Amino acid sequence: MAPLEAHGARAIHVTQEDIRRLCEFLYRRTGMSFDDNKRYYIDRRVTERMAATGSESFQSYFATLRSDADHEIQHLVNAFTVNETYFYREDHQLRCMTSSLLQDIVRRKKNQDAIRIWSIPCSTGEEPYSIAMWLMENWADVDSHNIEIVGSDIDTRALKAAADGIYGARALMRLSPAVVDRYFERLEKDEVRIDPGLRDSVQFTRANLIDRSDMARYRNFDIVFCRNVLIYFDDASRRIAAENLYDCLRPGGYICLGHSETMSRISPLFSVCRFPEAIVYQRPEADRDGK
Amino acid sequence: MESEKTRSMPRARILVVDDSSLVRLYFRTALEKGGFEVEQAINGIEALEKILAQAFDLVVVDVNMPRMDGFSFIRELRATAGAVAGLPALVITTEAAQQDREDARTAGANFYLVKPVSEADLLRYAAILAGVPA
Amino acid sequence: MPFIKRGAATSVPDSDADNPAAHVERLNSADAEIRWAAARALGGQADAVPALAAALGAEKVQRVREAIMTALMRVGNEASVMALLPYIRSQDAGQRATAIEALQALPSAIMPFMPALLADAESDVRILATELARNMEANDATHVLCKLIDSEPHPNVCAAAIDVLAEVGTRDAIPTLKACAERFAGTPFLPFAVSTTIARISDTQG
Repeated sequence: MAPLEAHGARAIHVTQEDIRRLCEFLYRRTGMSFDDNKRYYIDRRVTERMAATGSESFQSYFATLRSDADHEIQHLVNAFTVNETYFYREDHQLRCMTSSLLQDIVRRKKNQDAIRIWSIPCSTGEEPYSIAMWLMENWADVDSHNIEIVGSDIDTRALKAAADGIYGARALMRLSPAVVDRYFERLEKDEVRIDPGLRDSVQFTRANLIDRSDMARYRNFDIVFCRNVLIYFDDASRRIAAENLYDCLRPGGYICLGHSETMSRISPLFSVCRFPEAIVYQRPEADRDGK
Repeated sequence: MESEKTRSMPRARILVVDDSSLVRLYFRTALEKGGFEVEQAINGIEALEKILAQAFDLVVVDVNMPRMDGFSFIRELRATAGAVAGLPALVITTEAAQQDREDARTAGANFYLVKPVSEADLLRYAAILAGVPA
Repeated sequence: MPFIKRGAATSVPDSDADNPAAHVERLNSADAEIRWAAARALGGQADAVPALAAALGAEKVQRVREAIMTALMRVGNEASVMALLPYIRSQDAGQRATAIEALQALPSAIMPFMPALLADAESDVRILATELARNMEANDATHVLCKLIDSEPHPNVCAAAIDVLAEVGTRDAIPTLKACAERFAGTPFLPFAVSTTIARISDTQG
C-alpha cells in the first residue's frame, strides 16, 4: 500500500496487515466489524486519527488505541460512523418493547404502578422521543397505563437541546410522513420541532452511568435503553455501570444494548432473553445461587 | 475444487463462532476455499443474533469460549422457537475425552472435532453436516 | 398523552458515607442485598482486601460474588491480584471468566505472577494466563508470551499465546514464532497461525 500523505506532513505508512490488526482489535473490543469493501475508507480515517494524535507510526498509534488514551477508541469509531442520530434508530428493539417486553412487564406489575422507561445516555433526545412516539403509534394498551419516560445524559448541553426538541430534517428519515405530521411542527430552514405535548412527556435529567451515588437516585425502571456507550468504557467502569444499571432496574426489568454490543462481553449480572425481534438482557427476578 | 454443478448452486452458509481471531480466520479461509459462504461471531450471543437474522446451513462453534461456552450456546439454540432450533452444529472440543463427547451429544451437537482441526476434516464434515452433495 | 412526569430521580441517604469498617461488617450480613451494597461500597478500598477475599470464598449468590470481584479489581494491588488468582481455576466458568477479566485489567499488578502462571502444570491455566498479557505494553507482552512458547509442548497453549501476539506482539517475537512453526510443522492450524501473525507484526517495533 502506498504511503498516504496527511496535511502535508511526512507520509505515514500504514499497511494492509496493520489495518487487519486494527480491525480485529476493534471487533474484539467493541463488536463492530467492517467489510473488506469498507477497508479503504478505514485506511483514510486511521491516517486522519494518526495525524490528530501526533502518532509518528502505526505502532505508536496502535499502542495509543489499545490503551484507549484520551478515549481514542471512541474518536476512531466516531470517525468511521456517520455520527448522526435519528428517530426510530434500531427500531427492532422498539418493536421488541411493544411486541414482547411490555406484556411481560404488565403481567408482573402490581397495583397501578407506572411503567418506567429510561433512555441513558439520551444525547439530544431522539431516543426518548422515539420511545414515546413508538408507544403511541404501536402499543394498543398505551392509554391504559401510566408511563414515565426519562432521558438522561452526562452532557448538559445535549440535555438542553433535547428539551428544546429542535432537529434537522435528516433526523426524520425513518419516520413516515404521517408520524411527522402528528408529532412535529415544521420550522424554517428545514428544521422541525417536537410538539409541546410530546416534549412535555419526557423528563430530562443529568446522570453519569459510572457514578454510583448519581445512579442510586434512579430506581424501579422496567426498561432501560443503554445503547452504544458501554463499549467505550474501560473494564472497571463497565462493571460499575452494569452494577449500577442492575440496581436501577426492577427485578425482571429489561436492558436493551446497541446493535453490536453483547452483554456477555460486558456483564454476567443479567440473563439473556431471546425474543423474535431482538435479544435483550434481563435483571433476574430472584438471586441465583452459584456452585 | 468446485464442479460445474456446485458453482451454479447457491453456496451453503456457515457461521463460525470462536473467541480466537486466528481460529476464525483459519476456518473462514478453509471453508471459503471449499466453496462455502462464511460469517463469523466472537461469542454465543452474537452468534444467536446472527442466526435469528440470517439463514445458515451449519454453525461451527468452539467449546471453550468465556461466559457462554459452546455447549450452552447449542442448548440455547435448540431451545429457540422455530426451524432455527434444528440448525446443524459442529462443535470444536479440546479433548477427545469421553465426557466431552457425551456433553456434546446431550447439548444437541451433531458432531464434534478435536482441536487443532485440520482443513481436510473441517471441510469434510462441514459438507456432510451442511447437507452439501458430494 | 398517557405519559406522566414525576420525580424521575429520588434523593437517597448516602450510605456510602459510612466508614469502610461498617461496610466490612455488612459483608457478613445474612441479606444478599446488604452484602451486595457493602461490596460495591468497598470498591477500591485497599484495606478491605482481606475481608473481600474472605467474603468471596464464602459467597453463594452470584451477583454478590461479581460485585466483590469488581471491588477487588478496583483496588488493583498485589493483594487483590492474589485474592482473584485462585478463581481462574474455578469449576464455574462464569467465575473463571470474571477472574480473567479482572486480572486482564491489571497488567502491571499481574506481571510478577506471570512466570508461575505460564509454567503452571495445568494446560488450561496456561491457556487462560496468555489472555492476561493482552492489555500489557507490547514489549512486556511479547517477552512473556515468547518465553512461554519457547518451551511449551502443548499446541493449544501455543495457539492461545499466538492469538494474543497477533494483536499485541512486536517483531521481536518472530524468531520464537518461526521456531514454533517448525516444532509443530505436522500439526494443523499452528503453521497458519504463525505465518498470519508474523505477517501482522513484521513492521512492528515496540
